[in-house]
Amino acid sequence: MYNEDQKTAFLFSPELDNDFLQELYGEDLPQAEMVFESSVQQLHNGQQVMDTRFHDGDLEGLRKIVHKVKPLLGYMGMNSFMEEFASFEQKCTQFQTAAEAENGYEQIKAIAGEAIKMGEKEVSRLKQHNTQHL
Amino acid sequence: MKYQSIIVEDLQVAADFLSRFCEKSGVIDVLHHFLNAEDALQFLKENVVDLIFLDVEMPNTSGFELLDQLVYTPQVILTTSKTEYAYDAFQYNVTDYLKKPFTYQRFLESIQKVSKKTEQMDGGSEQDHMFIKADGKLIRLHNDDILFIESMGDYVKFITPVKKYITHNTIKNLETKVNPQVFMKVHRSYIVNFTKINDIQENVLFINGNMIPISKTHKSGVMQKINIL
Repeated sequence: MYNEDQKTAFLFSPELDNDFLQELYGEDLPQAEMVFESSVQQLHNGQQVMDTRFHDGDLEGLRKIVHKVKPLLGYMGMNSFMEEFASFEQKCTQFQTAAEAENGYEQIKAIAGEAIKMGEKEVSRLKQHNTQHL
Repeated sequence: MKYQSIIVEDLQVAADFLSRFCEKSGVIDVLHHFLNAEDALQFLKENVVDLIFLDVEMPNTSGFELLDQLVYTPQVILTTSKTEYAYDAFQYNVTDYLKKPFTYQRFLESIQKVSKKTEQMDGGSEQDHMFIKADGKLIRLHNDDILFIESMGDYVKFITPVKKYITHNTIKNLETKVNPQVFMKVHRSYIVNFTKINDIQENVLFINGNMIPISKTHKSGVMQKINIL
């Protein structure tokens, strides 16, 4: 039997905060697609800037770029990643040298890479859904 | 009422998100989005807005530094991903503080606060000044400095004891904007500060030696307003 709800229902991947994303986007899945796509792109750019800042030993610059890209994780429902970024951003104010920041930075870099992969996967799922159903 | 707003935000995704919420609300017009505070300041020197959605951490000039340089005080909603700015937000008397990312529901709560604050400001009718755009900048004029306002077609002239300011506006528009406890329209071409009236003779009133006609339509209103013993 045809069901209108089944036609448009979309569940975000279980590793994302589905409840928050539903609240954020509601039924506006084209917006979700646009925001995910743009967030992945900006996170990718941000990752490159982070790397440059870290290798230049510019810890304040590193803190700023971490601060800037942090909300992108929130827009993709990656709240635990966002908290990791917030924690590292806070620590950046206390580091004296790049060597002190190294372990934390490697972790953040890995998280950013993981977030990009998860984001790309979700963009692809959203695109497929929106093409088929909207 | 539709609020005229700008968004000052260096994260494009966040600005797009906010623009979409503003549009959805039906009560916020977004005039512009600025990626940095410097461009926003330039815009605010020449334009008046009701509301600013303002990020705090931006390259070069911060959101708080922008607020320090404003010559007038529109309502401000801070949009930031850090909660540590709450104390500063309180100090700057901002209307609300939105932590990114925020939901549409949370955004609407903010707009309700804006609306409430607007009502409080309007209800008080205590506005003791106005900003006019003249000589290429926004100039703050105290009500007490203004003797009267005269129509010049699509322009109006603000007369003060020391200077005249010409600005693009109409008496009809100003009639609803000026503080009614101080100003009143006495003719289709004149709004006067009635605390400055020196004397009235028939259908003419005098302020600092300037003769201003009183129209038949407004005569009774003028007579009610002045304190005749």
